[in-house]
Amino acid sequence: MIGAAFGDTLARAQAGDEAAFACIFRDIQPALLRYLRVIAPDPEDVAGETWVQVVAGLGGFRGEEQAFRAWLFTIARHRAADAGRSRARRPAVPLETSGAEDQLTSPDTADLALEAVSAQAAVAMIATLPAEQAEIIMLRVVAGLDTADVARIVRKTPGAVRVAAHRGLRRLAGQAERMGVTQ
Amino acid sequence: MSGPDAMHGEMPGFIPGRPGGEHDEPLLDTIFDRRPLPPGAPPEMRALVRTLAVAAGPAEPGELAGEAAALAAFSGLAPSGGVSPAAQRPARRWLSGWPARGRLPLTAALVAAAAGLGSIVAAYVGVLPGPIQEMAHVTVGAPAASGGNDPLTHVAPSRSRSSPRVTDSSGHPQTRPAGPAPAPSQATSPQPHRKPTGRSTGHPVPNCTPGPARTTPKPSPTQYPPTPGPGQPVWTPRPSATAGCPVIVTQPSSSPTR
Repeated sequence: MIGAAFGDTLARAQAGDEAAFACIFRDIQPALLRYLRVIAPDPEDVAGETWVQVVAGLGGFRGEEQAFRAWLFTIARHRAADAGRSRARRPAVPLETSGAEDQLTSPDTADLALEAVSAQAAVAMIATLPAEQAEIIMLRVVAGLDTADVARIVRKTPGAVRVAAHRGLRRLAGQAERMGVTQ
Repeated sequence: MSGPDAMHGEMPGFIPGRPGGEHDEPLLDTIFDRRPLPPGAPPEMRALVRTLAVAAGPAEPGELAGEAAALAAFSGLAPSGGVSPAAQRPARRWLSGWPARGRLPLTAALVAAAAGLGSIVAAYVGVLPGPIQEMAHVTVGAPAASGGNDPLTHVAPSRSRSSPRVTDSSGHPQTRPAGPAPAPSQATSPQPHRKPTGRSTGHPVPNCTPGPARTTPKPSPTQYPPTPGPGQPVWTPRPSATAGCPVIVTQPSSSPTR
């Protein structure tokens, strides 16, 4: 989070200041990429499309940092859905020839049981949850959005978001303990 | 079923008054609120806090690899208020990619529609030649031409659109009949046969604010996270990779970099 300086940074970015835009990018991009790794087939591509759309609408944005993040992650979710539909329309390639078998396997438990768990491993652990719970946890925890914003993004009631988040955390707690995640 | 309910020990996960409630909900809310866990928190919750802290941690190598591309997009599409070039680009590309022969009928249709509308407007204003004006009077209800059949009134043909005069059949200005004064628009533009269109005269103000932009005050980021107690696990927000960003001022805001 940029914090109190966000308003000034956003204003400078809206005026065309590259350094200010880079500041916003570096603040949000890791969370955006991790979120997309959970919900999108091609997270890097979808992140790039998201930023292009953010740049296009940056001049018209009015709001605070929390609203900006909610707007950006809403765009990301839409682009991810588009990417998913686009991928679904492509002709299927047989697995024997695509060499994609390894990519489709879920992360091995042993791979995730790291003494010093990396962000990628932690995100992969969250990604093993049911899709809805994983997305909500990513938006709440990684994107830093509150329940109301998450509810708007995923088009559910705040109560449903809260229940799904709690269920996801309970499952995740059990996994983390089994995998030996320690402080 | 008037007997006593189950004993509390028989339903350890049940909290009275909260159907479906779980005993760990306050603990999970504590984690979401980024507050330190209480001393007696179970070990799986501590592992959970650690996992979430790492997932929300600072940028790892490679995660900012797209910065150059994003900056290039920003340089090329940086908005300067109003409609951004990026917003116009898809429409331009769509039009330029359309075959010319496909555009021709549309152009002809647009020209014909414009000519028709112009003729109707001219008929209502009364600037058409006499026979044509008469025909318009019969077909679309435009005012009759000068010396028409209306024995009482007619709208004198005038080159000025803004001040058509109401005259009697002899060409003298006619006294307005008694009654409520018409609205200014009615007084200056007689429309004897115009039908109500049902359109509102007000134009909706386009909302250019994108998406979920809100101005509701949010808690200050400085309010959290609280300082954890010694030895207490807490899911701290990831330290921003841009902690020093607001200080970076490479260009004055009045001279945008493009």
